[in-house]
Amino acid sequence: MHMSDGLISTPVAAVAAVAAAALIGVAGAKVKKDTRPGLVSLTAVLGAFVFAAQMINFSIPGTGSSGHIIGGVLLSAFLGPWAAFLALSSVLIIQCLLFADGGLLALGCNIVNMAAMSCLIAYPLVFRPIVSRGASAARIMGASVLSCTLALELGACLVAVETKLSGVTALSTGTFLLLMAGIHLAIGVGEGVATGAVLAFVKRMRPALLVGAGAGEPRGRATGAIVGFALAALAIAGGLSLAASQDPDGLEWSVARVAGSAEVPASGAAAARAQKVQDATAAMPDYDNTFAGVAGASLVMLTVWGVCALLTHRRRAAAITEKE
Amino acid sequence: MGKIDKALSALSEMERGCVAAVPGYAASTRVSMLLTLLYVCLLLSVPLQDLQRLVWFASFPIVWASVTGVGYGCVLKRSLYVLPLILFVGIFNPLVDTAPAWTIGALTVSRGWVSFVSVALRGMLAVQAVLTLTAVCGFADVCRELRAAGVPSFLTTQLQLVYRYMSVLLEELLVMGRARTARGYGRASYPLRLWAAMAGQLFLRSVDRAERIHRAMLARGFDGTMPRYTSAERHGAHGAGAVVWCVCWVAVLCYLRFGAIICFTR
Repeated sequence: MHMSDGLISTPVAAVAAVAAAALIGVAGAKVKKDTRPGLVSLTAVLGAFVFAAQMINFSIPGTGSSGHIIGGVLLSAFLGPWAAFLALSSVLIIQCLLFADGGLLALGCNIVNMAAMSCLIAYPLVFRPIVSRGASAARIMGASVLSCTLALELGACLVAVETKLSGVTALSTGTFLLLMAGIHLAIGVGEGVATGAVLAFVKRMRPALLVGAGAGEPRGRATGAIVGFALAALAIAGGLSLAASQDPDGLEWSVARVAGSAEVPASGAAAARAQKVQDATAAMPDYDNTFAGVAGASLVMLTVWGVCALLTHRRRAAAITEKE
Repeated sequence: MGKIDKALSALSEMERGCVAAVPGYAASTRVSMLLTLLYVCLLLSVPLQDLQRLVWFASFPIVWASVTGVGYGCVLKRSLYVLPLILFVGIFNPLVDTAPAWTIGALTVSRGWVSFVSVALRGMLAVQAVLTLTAVCGFADVCRELRAAGVPSFLTTQLQLVYRYMSVLLEELLVMGRARTARGYGRASYPLRLWAAMAGQLFLRSVDRAERIHRAMLARGFDGTMPRYTSAERHGAHGAGAVVWCVCWVAVLCYLRFGAIICFTR
């Protein structure tokens, strides 16, 4: 569900980034007040655990395919929602910066879609109320399935809304929402079963870890604040993005204000000479302008890559020899 | 367990890439981060139907990755990870938006196909810029600059700790995975019960490790924030060369976005 930069527009990314930054700020303040010993290292190591656990795939019976956990509800059950949110956000940031999993500008969207929905919405609203009445294995499994499904569905719907607001997909909003929600329903159930299985295992092996987790947080107040914040963030995101999508892009607007036009025209003697050279050297004059432009630009990029590779090959080889 | 090997080698490549970076071309980490942010913002502001302009934007990751010794091929290969979701979301565009955009001889290309390719290209180029940034500057330096730029210390501390223990836990998982593979008779994925036991065991080991780490950190005077360090040898600002490098790129990127780009037609 990691969104890449290709799927969003700058205004949508900006609004989501603001929402994510605000949530991270709140999470930081909450975690600082938390007096549990070793919470910083526990949060970090469990963040790394989620990353590692995502590498193990489990079989989905009857389908021949496999899946892996996302880990929001799992982390929340051990760390509490805010510390889990921080851990999952750290994982998402690292996945973006090091593993090309999600885009840089889409980072805010990914944090809201995945970390906030699972740790701050699904866990306190679904998982904790169910488990607080008694943590039997069946109850844990039921709570996991319900909360993970809700988290995945909310995240998938947000992906659809953000993509639609960014004007990237030609599908209608309803169709796109149905498509995303339908696919992620099965994934959510799988995630829930896997989360429940791990929680049941830990409960069997070391019950103190599970029972003590997240017990110190005032339920009603935190839930109200979270829901209020999430609704406000969604309202702001939707409102601002709709407004932004009807107007020119901010950068185009700024340049148009300065230069009188969104595109800066080439003028002067040098430009005229360049035009003559271009007329004489046009490689594909009879083709459609845009296609020829794309083909030409691609060719230039390949050439640039080739030249750069040639220029740096010797230096890299020398560096490797030196290291050896 | 191939995924674990790949992740571990990606982390190791990242470290090697930092060492291989050529100082003469490296600006300071902060400037590189700002340049990357500018690039991604300008890239995303290009209209979807302006595919020609988007292709020119590839010049930035190509040149940057190449001259710093990271290698564009490696960055390109890793940027392919973004394609699955993009393909899933964008593949409907050609089916829905069938209005003609280009004609290539007798062949007509629809607007849906153009927007589909644009979405994929935007996603890949943005990721390539970010991967090049972290490969050139190093993750630790990026965290340090984030901290200097005002990002709260609890987040940068978390990032550094997660990054450090990621490779440790991956190695632990690799050992568990090898043991299971040796006894698994060629089965690639795990039945849920076995998977839960594996993930649960890894979780318990992680918790134990976190306790040991916490005690060790306290013994060394940990006060909630990671100590700052500087690595001037590799990532200091390189004077006039770095300034020229950055100013040139800002000018080129702004021109690519707003200027009249070169056409290959009459």
